[in-house]
Amino acid sequence: MRWRNGPDRFGLITRMLHWAMGLGIIGMLGFGTVLSRMQPSLGNIWLYGLHKSVGLCLLALVLARLAWHRISPPPASLTEGIAPWQVAAGRWAHRLLYALMLAVPLAGWIGSAATGIDVQVFGLTLPNPFPVSEAWDKGGFLAHAVLTKLLMAVVALHVAGALHRALWHRDGTLRRMLRA
Amino acid sequence: MRRLAFRPLLGLWLIVAAALPATAATRSYALEAAGSSVAFSVAFGADTITGTMPVLRSDLKIDFANVAASRVAVDLDVTGAQASFPFASQAMKGPRVLDAAEFPQISFTSTAITRDGDTARIEGNLTVRGVTRPTVLTARLYRPAGSSPQDLDQLTVILDGALARSDFGATGWSDMVGDTVHLTITAQIRATT
Repeated sequence: MRWRNGPDRFGLITRMLHWAMGLGIIGMLGFGTVLSRMQPSLGNIWLYGLHKSVGLCLLALVLARLAWHRISPPPASLTEGIAPWQVAAGRWAHRLLYALMLAVPLAGWIGSAATGIDVQVFGLTLPNPFPVSEAWDKGGFLAHAVLTKLLMAVVALHVAGALHRALWHRDGTLRRMLRA
Repeated sequence: MRRLAFRPLLGLWLIVAAALPATAATRSYALEAAGSSVAFSVAFGADTITGTMPVLRSDLKIDFANVAASRVAVDLDVTGAQASFPFASQAMKGPRVLDAAEFPQISFTSTAITRDGDTARIEGNLTVRGVTRPTVLTARLYRPAGSSPQDLDQLTVILDGALARSDFGATGWSDMVGDTVHLTITAQIRATT
């Protein structure tokens, strides 16, 4: 079944999740950087709400992705002819990516919720499981700021690695994520 | 904020009231919640956030013959505060600004009241976020249009003032929201003694 992952190919669901989240994450890294430098006003305050909505959708997507990979495990990495340190770097970059895909939106959610302002996903108010406190507010947003910088670096490493495989090794690593 | 059913400029100034026979002495007043409000405004970038806060308790004693003998004590209900858009209400009541969960009340107690031309100058202690600072409010007193100048049973007090929220540690979003908060308190009061 082409929806599912095979022993050496990515299924449609995994590929769609990969590219939707890839676009979403890179977009949100840029969006968040713009927000942090923006002079807020009544006319643009809705952008903060949009950032929270998209971020929470990305958090839901990474959870769906992890669940999907339990149901339909992705294929093993292509390692033939690759230096062991590069294989290890790739493995750690992927682990770090998943950890940050969880931690970055979670930290933003914790910080936002701690201000006492309702956190909404496109107008739907979420229940707040986190404490409303200045310490959690500061901690959450500090973590969000620091971890996004780390995520930028790991995303850059991930893209560089994929391009290196595609243009130097030409081993199908990028191609199999693009099409079955 | 409910529109005033008064025509303030035709009303009675404090100084006019002060010229009344000394028999008036000190009178206590109760606040009429329906016609009273504490309105505030603060800069938000190029815009302004406005809002109101309900009065919880008030203790008003006015001595028309001797303004200095008057006194004012008011408690406000921070948890009931409303700002001009929902997120601003929540932001204001949250821990970064007023921290309503920890400090549900704002109090003001007068320490000295003096006449200042057509107005009264009310010096007092304002407690916000558990921090008490001296604050000055300017008061104007009106009677309802059409009422007799001797009838001081029902009056409207309009108090104006401003505070620097940083003085009270209410510093949240200081990069977005101005430090100076302007206050306009409209109190409809009815004599109880």
